[in-house]
Amino acid sequence: MISERTAAPPRKKVLSPRERFVPLALSGVSVVIFFGFFGWLVTSAEAWPRIQSQFFSLEAMGAAFPKVAQGFLINMGVWAVSLVAIALWALILAVFRSLRGPWFAPLRVFTVVYIDIFRGLPALLLVLLFGFGIPALRIPGLPTTSLFWGGVAMVLSYSAYATEVYRSGMDAVHDGQWAAAKALGLNQAQTLGFAIIPQALRNVLPALLNLAVALQKDVALLSVIGVRDAVREAQIYTSRTFNYSSLVVAAFLFLIATIPMARLTDYVAKKDRERRLQRTA
Amino acid sequence: MRRFISPVLLMVFILVGFQAFAGGGQQSAPATPAAQGVENTPTDPRLFQPGKLTVATGDPVYPPWMLNDDPASGEGFENALVYALAEELGFAKADVVWVRTGFDEAITPGSKPYDFNIQQFSVTAERAQAVDFSQVYYQSDKAVIALPGSVVSDAETFAELRQARWGAAISTTDLVYLENVLGVNDVAVYDDQAGVFQAMLAGQIDATVAALPTALFVTAVQVPEARITALLPPDKDDEGHGLLFTKGNPLVPWINQGLTALANKGVTQDLVDTYLVGDMSIRTINR
Repeated sequence: MISERTAAPPRKKVLSPRERFVPLALSGVSVVIFFGFFGWLVTSAEAWPRIQSQFFSLEAMGAAFPKVAQGFLINMGVWAVSLVAIALWALILAVFRSLRGPWFAPLRVFTVVYIDIFRGLPALLLVLLFGFGIPALRIPGLPTTSLFWGGVAMVLSYSAYATEVYRSGMDAVHDGQWAAAKALGLNQAQTLGFAIIPQALRNVLPALLNLAVALQKDVALLSVIGVRDAVREAQIYTSRTFNYSSLVVAAFLFLIATIPMARLTDYVAKKDRERRLQRTA
Repeated sequence: MRRFISPVLLMVFILVGFQAFAGGGQQSAPATPAAQGVENTPTDPRLFQPGKLTVATGDPVYPPWMLNDDPASGEGFENALVYALAEELGFAKADVVWVRTGFDEAITPGSKPYDFNIQQFSVTAERAQAVDFSQVYYQSDKAVIALPGSVVSDAETFAELRQARWGAAISTTDLVYLENVLGVNDVAVYDDQAGVFQAMLAGQIDATVAALPTALFVTAVQVPEARITALLPPDKDDEGHGLLFTKGNPLVPWINQGLTALANKGVTQDLVDTYLVGDMSIRTINR
């Protein structure tokens, strides 16, 4: 469909084989020289065999893998649950913040204070405070597991960022949309639900996915409150054997998870850009 | 073609120059001629700083291993042992230099700015593949620590102990002990002992294990609410505490001679009696 809209590009000049292949060959050669040199520099270092056996030992990686992978499932579980909770809670906060009218002032103040506090505190600090602090109050009826409270801390922290992302998306919806909705007889809730939020979501989806990738790695923070996630399992292996290859295994697992997410984010951002271009065209 | 060649040449120049720079740096370090010192004496050129015994320890250090977080005072089991060892090897007290390290700094490969590290490192065969240990200077009992009224308070057998929720600090062998000797599966693992007791006070775990001297100090000073409820038999894979050296450190045999001499003279046992007195009234769970 796109090809119908856009005019045919101007015919490219036909390149001679030399013009075509010499740059290609040169870039290949320079890449090989460049990375080969650094590879050689690292592996020729006097201490390399020791580093290799303590950081990149295949045997140790194999030994550490089952436990680290098991921990990684916990990471991904926490990530998936938090992601849903953050998406909902941040949306509620963003709605609070965008409500108009004097009666809603307490909600607006609450949201502003909430964002200031939870965006201003390091996530690690929140995890420690929630994971150790709240269970120590021993309030009957509340769960005491560190996994639960660590998850709560992540949700509260990331919601502060996500709220701001949502809000920027809502602000980007033209004021005329509010006026138009009002003219149609929609009340405030209907205006938000039918006119503003659907447009805002499309605007901010790439930015939200970006947060999701960041969260995917930050769930490893829960390791400090006793949750045996991938990082903690890797550290356990390290402290038992003094071998760091387990950390490389954990790093590899995180890459497997985050790289597809990053590509998805790129893809969504590209679609979004195309959509905008078509709209203005 | 000329305009293609010049960037390539430039790159080659840069790489060659970089290599010469890096190579030069590598060569200059060992090339410094060692002062004429005699091996296995305090002037040994293989010491980090010939003439001095440079010893690393944790930051902070706890009683009874070292008192008042002050290694140089010589008060405490491990620092007193180091001073006795230094004297045995011919160093003056003033020639012992203390440096502080974290756990990870101590076990990573590479040269270290000290001769050896002492902070209750447990000697195991697995760890010995990555670092060198001296001979063992102390083997401690394991103690169960819990709050009063915990499910482990009345436990008589390992099977009953397994019912509890356990916690342990990473970088200790306590976790391995819980898994291998008691057979506990889901131990919660914290950054340090402080985290373990925080979780215990928060009701997230029921009990933990620690070396008996550490347990006595913790229950007396740090967490007075907690009690030692029982002693446990040693883990056969945990050989005891040893000094930690980087892999291949040539000083190990000489230091070991010193430790052997201290043990034969009864100095080590005297220090154990001074600083690490156990509590004979605590019951032991063996099965």
